[in-house]
Amino acid sequence: MVQYSYFPGCNLKTNAKGFEKSAVAVSKKLNAELVEIPNWNCCGTVHTMTSDNLMKRIAPVRVLSRSRKHIEELEDSPNEVATLCSMCNSTLKIVNKEVKVDEDKLSKINYQLEEDEETYAEDMEVKHFLEILRDSVGYKNIAKKVIKELKGIKVVPYYGCMLLHPEEAKIDDEEMPSVLEYLMESLGAEVIFSPLFKFCCGSYHIVDDETIVDSQVSKILQDVRVKGANAMVVACPLCAYNLDYQQKKLIKQTGEKNPIPIFYFSQLMAIAMGEPIEINHFEDHQIDPRKLLKELKLEG
Amino acid sequence: MAKAKPKTKTENSTPMVKIFIMGAAHEVPASLTIMKAIEYAGFKITRGSGCRAGFCGACGTIYRKEGDYRIYAALACQTQVEDGMVLTQLPFVPAPKARYNVDELQPNASAMLKYYPEVARCLSCNACSKVCPQEIKVMDYVQYSLQGQIKKAADESFDCVQCGLCAIRCPAEIPQYHVGMLARRLHGKYNLKAPENLEHRVKEIEDGVYTEAFSELMKLSKADLKKRYTERDFIDQKKA
Amino acid sequence: MSYEYIKFGKEEREFREKIEEISGENVFSCYQCGKCSAGCMFSDKMDRTVNQQIHRIQMGQKEKVLAANTHWICASCLTCSVRCPRDIDVAAIMEAIREYILREEPEKIIVSELPKEVLERLPNIALVGNFRKMTG
Repeated sequence: MVQYSYFPGCNLKTNAKGFEKSAVAVSKKLNAELVEIPNWNCCGTVHTMTSDNLMKRIAPVRVLSRSRKHIEELEDSPNEVATLCSMCNSTLKIVNKEVKVDEDKLSKINYQLEEDEETYAEDMEVKHFLEILRDSVGYKNIAKKVIKELKGIKVVPYYGCMLLHPEEAKIDDEEMPSVLEYLMESLGAEVIFSPLFKFCCGSYHIVDDETIVDSQVSKILQDVRVKGANAMVVACPLCAYNLDYQQKKLIKQTGEKNPIPIFYFSQLMAIAMGEPIEINHFEDHQIDPRKLLKELKLEG
Repeated sequence: MAKAKPKTKTENSTPMVKIFIMGAAHEVPASLTIMKAIEYAGFKITRGSGCRAGFCGACGTIYRKEGDYRIYAALACQTQVEDGMVLTQLPFVPAPKARYNVDELQPNASAMLKYYPEVARCLSCNACSKVCPQEIKVMDYVQYSLQGQIKKAADESFDCVQCGLCAIRCPAEIPQYHVGMLARRLHGKYNLKAPENLEHRVKEIEDGVYTEAFSELMKLSKADLKKRYTERDFIDQKKA
Repeated sequence: MSYEYIKFGKEEREFREKIEEISGENVFSCYQCGKCSAGCMFSDKMDRTVNQQIHRIQMGQKEKVLAANTHWICASCLTCSVRCPRDIDVAAIMEAIREYILREEPEKIIVSELPKEVLERLPNIALVGNFRKMTG
């Protein structure tokens, strides 16, 4: 079994438990097992865009260094940190590139890490699980493991901004990405395109000004409904929260009759591959996807 | 007023070292702990001293050494003096504990973030772990708290003596020792097995099982009490 | 027609240089094409657009730059940086304005005033991201 050193990120242990559990389950089926780093620390997203703040770069470098140590214990493991959270993916990739390019920055950060015996030797790459599925596992192999095609699911793939920006972090073309589309098709779902596929959900503004998130989310969901979709698929726990939680709030305010459940891509994979439905922790969602799954006889 | 002549190496066979207390130099015997050395130098410690056994965390000390820019930390009662130590004591660290009711919480990240949201500011710089006199991996337990892994946070912070030195060094201004305390309280209440023997004994006391025996003891004279103590045995009277 | 005279001296130059130092970008690369503002998904909520702010930084107009809400509405989505035809990291310039303020006054968002129900409900990633961008 190929094993990947897996970095969860804080949200995968709390609000996005279903994302992690379903992803780990399907990873085992696809010979790309995600094995959690035993002593990981928060990556400190969103990455700092200042040129001079080294403190804020210590956390991601420490993650890379700890992952490198972790790989020694795994079987058949490439020098890659696997991530599920898009925001963590972006932060780790960007800082990894920064320290590889700027020796001075790395040596100063390593000076701090030396005492903890966790210096980073620039020998790791960062891969989002979607990249692993596309490049190492392959869509054909995914399709082979599907035992229940997702007939009736009309899904809009929503990338959010962190998966596609900037150059160092993106996993696909930023204006015309296709990884989620191909993945959904290999599961037998119908893919519907929305031009708002990377219209930022509002991200961390959910803390200081909810109205910003409400404005973004209502625009996205309006387009999804107009296009006739009945679900959305995402790869970022913060996007999922904003689209799910704020949607519930907006539905209460506007009386909208058409709720759109928000799925993580690994949850749809888990359903298609016959995993027990509890693994997805759908009870944590505000808009319960089980209603739609029951209608389509997909709840397993 | 004539100053007392400091004991020098030639006068005494005890090896001496020079330490700096509040910036003033003092010659003290090299074998003393920092706490004893401060008292040897003539100071009376009224705050910043407690159990003198490395358990209460009152004697947090920050020091540097002459010629060395690095900052070190220690518990004064447990650490031997070194030549050139430049000391300051930290009897109190300002970090108000949040007021919460563990009955209303669950052992998860939400509980930690509700009362200590600054935990989300952790930079993973590890300054806290480096300064901990108990060699606890402080940053790790703060991270576990942020991630909602309450058991791991409680286990990792178990040796904490609440000296507060971590909180003083933290650039994100987190009160780590309070965070650890909340994690341990939640873990103890919700995750660990209830201590049956303790609960049983407390109930016995409340039911008055031992009231008579204690009243009897309280009435004894000192001589009789001593006699009872020296003649005590450990055989269970009920089983005998 | 009305005119406004702007001062352009040492203070103005120092402000621009500080922004350039923090961001690592050359603001004079910008030729005001407006693509950043056009692509910015939060433009409708900003009182001054992104390119307007950059022009003001070029002119060193510190008070005007800091009085706008542009950099606080920015969500660091990086769409502007990715699309800039001059390869300027526009989001880094927005971050530099935030840092310029936070390094003096570190509490744009006062954490102790966030309501407890909100802290309990929000995902920890939102708090981590928000505090990174809005506290110093």
